[in-house]
Amino acid sequence: MKHGRFMVGLVGVAAVITYLVWTGVSSTMVYYLTPVELMERIEEDPSFRDLGVKVSGQVVKGTYHRVEGQLLHRFDIHDLEDESVTFTVEWRDALPDTFTEDVEVVLEGRLNEAGTFEATTLLTKCGSRFEAAPEDLAR
Amino acid sequence: MTVLGEFALWISLPVALWGMFLGFAGGRTQRGDLVLSAERSIYAVFLLHLVASIGVMAAFLGDKFEYWYVASYSNREMELFYKITGLWAGQRGSLLFWVLLLGFLSSVAVFTNRNKNREFMPYVAGVLQTIITFFIVVLLFAQVNPFERLDFIPANGQGLNPQLQNYWMTIHPPTLYLGFTAFTIPFAFAISALLSGRLDSRWIQLTRRWILTSWLFLSIGIVFGMRWAYEELGWGGYWFWDPVENASLLPWLTATAFLHSIQIQEKRGMLKVWNMSLVLVTFLLTIFATFLTRAGLIESVHSFAQNLQIAYIFLGFMGVLLALCTVLIIYRLPQLQSENQIESFVSRESAFLFNNLLLVGAAFAVMWGTMFPLISEGVTGQQISVGPPFFERVNFPIGLALLTLVGIGPVIAWRRATKKNLQRNFATPVVVGLVVAAALWIMGARHGLALVTWGISAFVLTVIATEFWKGTKARARIEGEGFALAFFHLVSRNRRRWGGYTVHVGFVIMVMGFAGAAYNVDTRHHVFPGDMVEVQSPLGHTYQLTYEGLSVSLGQGQRNLLWQIIATVSVNYDGRDVGILNTEKRRYVTSDQDMTEVGIRSTPMEDLYLILSAVDDTRGALGADSGAQGIDLQVLIKPLVGWIWFGTFMLVIGTVVALWPSADRRRSAAQTEADEAPSPLSAPAGSAG
Repeated sequence: MKHGRFMVGLVGVAAVITYLVWTGVSSTMVYYLTPVELMERIEEDPSFRDLGVKVSGQVVKGTYHRVEGQLLHRFDIHDLEDESVTFTVEWRDALPDTFTEDVEVVLEGRLNEAGTFEATTLLTKCGSRFEAAPEDLAR
Repeated sequence: MTVLGEFALWISLPVALWGMFLGFAGGRTQRGDLVLSAERSIYAVFLLHLVASIGVMAAFLGDKFEYWYVASYSNREMELFYKITGLWAGQRGSLLFWVLLLGFLSSVAVFTNRNKNREFMPYVAGVLQTIITFFIVVLLFAQVNPFERLDFIPANGQGLNPQLQNYWMTIHPPTLYLGFTAFTIPFAFAISALLSGRLDSRWIQLTRRWILTSWLFLSIGIVFGMRWAYEELGWGGYWFWDPVENASLLPWLTATAFLHSIQIQEKRGMLKVWNMSLVLVTFLLTIFATFLTRAGLIESVHSFAQNLQIAYIFLGFMGVLLALCTVLIIYRLPQLQSENQIESFVSRESAFLFNNLLLVGAAFAVMWGTMFPLISEGVTGQQISVGPPFFERVNFPIGLALLTLVGIGPVIAWRRATKKNLQRNFATPVVVGLVVAAALWIMGARHGLALVTWGISAFVLTVIATEFWKGTKARARIEGEGFALAFFHLVSRNRRRWGGYTVHVGFVIMVMGFAGAAYNVDTRHHVFPGDMVEVQSPLGHTYQLTYEGLSVSLGQGQRNLLWQIIATVSVNYDGRDVGILNTEKRRYVTSDQDMTEVGIRSTPMEDLYLILSAVDDTRGALGADSGAQGIDLQVLIKPLVGWIWFGTFMLVIGTVVALWPSADRRRSAAQTEADEAPSPLSAPAGSAG
C-alpha cells in the first residue's frame, strides 16, 4: 500500500517533468532555416511571417552601417548557397565582439512586411572563433 | 624536447594496452604479478604523458611554429603565462591534458591502494587503462595529434584568441577537466565491483572521497566558466544555456544525484542498481562533455572547428561502454537486490529519491533541449532549435522543488517520519519562509518566481541554522564547552554531515543570487563627454554616471595589443563620489575584431556593469580627434550577482570540510568495518522488489 502510493508519487514527478519538457519544446521551439527556405515558406503561407524563426546567413560586405545615437545596426545577409537571396537585418542592441562583415550570423526574429528581418538575438558563427584554420597560416 | 614528447606519446599506447590486458587477465587469474605489472603500467603511462605535455609546452615556449597546434594558438608576442597554458588552449592540447590528468589521478588511486583493497585493483587498473588507451588512440589517429607538423614553417603563429586571454579562462578548463577525470576513478571501482562480484557498498566507501573531489572540481569549474562569461563576454550574463555549458552541467546534475543516492545504499542497502546506473551515466556524460566541447557537433559559442571523425569515434566508444556496462549490470542483477524497502512516503529515503528523480529529470530535460536540433533534423529533416526560454521553463520549477527538498531532506526522519517529527522540524522554518516572502512583497518586490525562490530559501536556511544551533547547544550543555568550541567540535566530529549542510547553505545562497536576475536593469545611452546619466537600482540606490571622455593608448603590438580605447565614467552612488569605472574597446594584432572590456563595480547587494557598446568614430578617436568622442554606453544593474560567487565559496568550504581526512584514521577504518556488518535495521536481503 505504502509502496503503491510511493510509485504514484514517482510517476507523478516523472509525468510533470515530461509535461514541462513537452510544453516547453512546443512553446519555445523555432524553425532553423536558410534564407532560401524562409522565402519559400513565406511564399507558401504568408502567415509564416508572424512566426519567429532562426535564420543563418552570410553578412554582405559593405552593407553594414550603424545608425548613430539610436543603438540600431543594419546590414544585409545572403544565403550561403544562393547569393541572390538576400534581405536587410535590423539589430537593436550592442553587437557581439565577433561581428565583422566577414562572418556568418545566426539570427532569431521575424521578417516583417517590408522585407526587413527584425532580429532579437544575434550570434556569430565561424569555425575559427577559437581555433584558427591551418590554411590561413600559409603566407 | 618536443620530439621526445611525441615519441613518449607513441610509446604510451603499447604500454597502456599492455596494462589494460594485464589488469583484466590479472583479475581473472588472480595472479599478483600480473596485477602489479598492470598497476605499474599506470605510473609509466602517466610519466610518458608528462613528458609529452612538457614537449608541447617546450614547443610553445620555443615558438616552434612548424607544429600546427603551436602555430594556431600562439605567436612570438604572446605572454609567457599564456604560452604555458597553451597546453589546454585548444582541442588537441586539451585532449592530451585530459589524459595527463587522468593518468595522474589514476596513479594516485593505484598508489593509495597499493597495500589494501587488493580485490578491486586488477579490474580498476584494467578499466583505467582502457579509458586511457581510448584517449591515446584518439590523439594519435583522429587527426588531433598535437605534434602534427605543417609542411612549412610559418614566420609567426596566429596567437591566442583574445577572449581566451583571461585569468578565469586559463583556470576554468583544468578545473573542469579535473572534475571530469576524477569521476573515472569511481567508475573504475564500480565496474571492478561488477566484474569481481563484490557488490556490497564497499566500492562506494572506497570512492566517496573521489566522488566528492570530482563533484567539487566540477562545481568550481562550472562557476569559473560563469565568471569568465560575466567578465569577458560583455553582455552581463553568466549563463547562456549554450550546448557546451549544458554539457558541463549534465554530469554535475547526475553526480549530485549520485552523491545523495549512495547515502541510501550505505545506510539502508537500497538502490544498488540505480547507483550503478548513475555512476555509469555520469561517467559517460563526462566523456560526452569532453567530446561536445571538442567536436563542435552542435553550434555553440565554444564551437571549435567541425571534426566529424572525432565525433563518430567518441560516440562509438560511448555506445560500446554503455552496452558492455548494461550487460554487466543485468548479469549481476541477482546480487544487486535491495536489502530493504521504502516504508513511508514521508521519510528521508523518499526525500532522497525525489531529489534523485528531479536531478535526473533536469539532466534529461537539459540533454533533450541541447540535442533537440539534431533529433529534429534526424526525425523530420528540419532543424528546430529551442533556446534559453525552454531551459528556463523546464528547469525553474524543477529547481524550486529541489530547493525545497534541500530543506526537507536533511532533517526528516529515516524510514518513517511522524507528525511530531514534521511539526517540530518544519513549523518555524515554514513560518519564517512565509514571513520573508511577505516582507519582500511589502517592500515592493513583485516578481512572483523570485519571491517564491527567496521564500523557500529562507525556509531552507532556517532549517539548517536550527540544526547547527541545536547541535551546538546540546554539545555545549553536555560537554560544558563554550559555544565556539562546541560548534567546532560538533563539525569536526561529523564532518560529512555538517560539511554537507554548509554545501547546502552555499547552494541556497547561489540560488538566491540567480533569482536576483529577475530585477536586472538594462539601460542604453548615447553620450558625449560631460553628459550625465542617472540610473535607479531596484534596491533604491541612485547611480549618477558622468561620462568623462575617451583616452587612447597604442600598444604597438606589445603583448599582442594594437590599441585600446578607454571610456572613463565617474560614478556617484547615492550622492557620494565613489571613483571611476573604465570600459574599453581593444584591438589585438591577432584578430580583426574589436574586443569589449566591461567595467564592473561590485557591492554585496548589486553590481554596476558598464559596457562600451560602440564608439561613434573609432578612426577619429584613434587619431585623437576630440570631436569624435560620442559613445553608446550600456548601463546594467545586476542585483545579487555577488551572492553567486559567495555561495560558491561556501560550497567549496563545505565540501572541503566533508573531505578533510579524519584525525583518527584507525577509528574511521574500524567504523567502516562495523558498517559492513548487518545493521539491526536491515531486513533480510532480497525481500524488496
